[in-house]
Amino acid sequence: MPAIPDTDLLERYEQNPVITAADIPFTCNTVFNGSPVKLGSEYLMLLRVEGQHGYSLFALARSQDGYRFEVEDRPVMAPVTEGPMARYEVAGIEDPRITVLEGRIYVVYTAFSGYGPVMSLATTEDFHTFERLGVISEPGNKDGLLFPRKVGGRYARLDRPIGNDVGSVWVSFSDDLTYWGDSRVVITPRQGHWDSYRVGGSAVPIETEDGWLEIYHGVKMTSGGPIYRAGAVLLDLDDPSVVISRSDVPILAPRTDYERVGDVGNVVFASGAVVEPDGMVKVYYGAADTAICVATAPLAEIIAVARAGRR
Amino acid sequence: MNTKISKNIVRRWAGNPVISIRDLPFHANDVHNAGAARHEGRYVLLVTIENLRGDCSIFRAWSDDGRRFEMDPEPFLAPSLDGPFAEYEGRGVRDARITPFDDTYYITYLAESEHGFRLGLAETRGFEEVVRVGLISEPDTKNGMLFPRRIGGRFVRLERPREGGNIWISYSDDLVHWGGWNVVMTPRNGFWDYDRIGASVPPIETECGWLLFYYGVRNLPGGPLFRLGVAFLDLDDPSQVVARSNVPVLAPHERYERVGDVPNLVFSCGAVLSEDRSEVEIYYGAADSCICLGTVPVEELERTCAAARAAGDD
Repeated sequence: MPAIPDTDLLERYEQNPVITAADIPFTCNTVFNGSPVKLGSEYLMLLRVEGQHGYSLFALARSQDGYRFEVEDRPVMAPVTEGPMARYEVAGIEDPRITVLEGRIYVVYTAFSGYGPVMSLATTEDFHTFERLGVISEPGNKDGLLFPRKVGGRYARLDRPIGNDVGSVWVSFSDDLTYWGDSRVVITPRQGHWDSYRVGGSAVPIETEDGWLEIYHGVKMTSGGPIYRAGAVLLDLDDPSVVISRSDVPILAPRTDYERVGDVGNVVFASGAVVEPDGMVKVYYGAADTAICVATAPLAEIIAVARAGRR
Repeated sequence: MNTKISKNIVRRWAGNPVISIRDLPFHANDVHNAGAARHEGRYVLLVTIENLRGDCSIFRAWSDDGRRFEMDPEPFLAPSLDGPFAEYEGRGVRDARITPFDDTYYITYLAESEHGFRLGLAETRGFEEVVRVGLISEPDTKNGMLFPRRIGGRFVRLERPREGGNIWISYSDDLVHWGGWNVVMTPRNGFWDYDRIGASVPPIETECGWLLFYYGVRNLPGGPLFRLGVAFLDLDDPSQVVARSNVPVLAPHERYERVGDVPNLVFSCGAVLSEDRSEVEIYYGAADSCICLGTVPVEELERTCAAARAAGDD
């Protein structure tokens, strides 16, 4: 089933998916929600790999062009079994998000256990050894994203707690990356829209002249289950709790077989983006919780869709 | 027969309830969950009152003897109507906990809005003026309270995030930014506190550790059963439980605890330690419909916890 042409702003890479379980050198169930970063001319991507046992860990993939990836033989980050984080990672580590901040590489990830999902922070120099910096949220929180620079003198993050049964995007601030506060709600679900059920941050915020561009995911609940789509929102550069404008329509929605069929069907879940020197954006996304794909659009056009929306 | 039924070590005041809606100078749905303190020799309660429309505010009541209280006609802390707090208090403020801290009092309260439940922090010197410090959590979390002094140089709080039903601890240098989250206590399989727990009274410093009254919930076919338990936390590292009672110290037995808006519920938000530090006066909401008083010697709480430890139950 081919994609319906000219519907979504983002253009799918024609050889999608770029990484599937068949590309993982060790036995696993699925691979999805990878976080990319371009260092020099090399693309690195931390992959969420769900093992056959059912919990997730991270593998590392490398690429020279952002499309053809080679996955390393062994996982690079797995749940710890000792130390203070062990009790919070019993059920796996999920959804890594890489932010390069003041020259250091940080990974925000979801630690999962019977205590509930908590946002956790780690740092790495080589993508093989990860120093855990601890839990940085109350439980029941996911989709943590660190801004790539201080905002208003403090570090800032987006996350997705559940309040009153509603999943919204919140912003919090910190002087030291350990202690967080001043939390405020930023983006809430919109009644009647494609993002009416739940929203969450997806890609690390991209600084533009028009504001922080946040590619987020919106969920609509149907009788057949949820539909996950990607949208774009612009946040104020100095105060990211302020929404400048937000796309009325998704920039990518599940239409192809690999997005519609998988462990969780009807999911495109953006998990990172790379802005190329020519202004093209490569958006990486998990498809149907089963594969990693990429789709592209000019940065200016994504911003235009976000700007065309209302607040 | 009485001795066999009334096994709770907290003794109820014979004049219970201390405050019911009949004692209010206005109409209300119910009155429950009071933070408590003793200020300049007088008792003060910060009481949650649900108005007829259905949303809550926090009212102040004074007493000379801790038994007969006089309720203010106007709220001490009402939902913010404008400013940064308004968006998060649109559905009410309630469940105040008072923590004496140096020469001031911190009040943690529950801010409820369309965005969920968050912890609010306010400060008062003498319960005349109250100043909001900030909203110090993300949603959904309840039952937040501060320890009465810094520990290891930092402010410390307990809370009960909705996710998981456990008691968590976190730390702060400035009361605004919080971190170092860790689980302190979890529900116990098969026990009276099987389904979820939460801290009740801001911790009280004793020789045996931080005395923590907490509530435990067991879900039954007729609804939840809320009871009061007790634990001691390590003085230097309050994320560590020293001992925890294996039985509730107070459970709904009396009619005013069994019958009301939320039946079968005792729920404390505040307690006052006697001058000689030997006895605790516990104020508790009963059936979400009135405020009651119970007393218990600290020594008995220690014995209960030690027995649980000896039995390997804590």
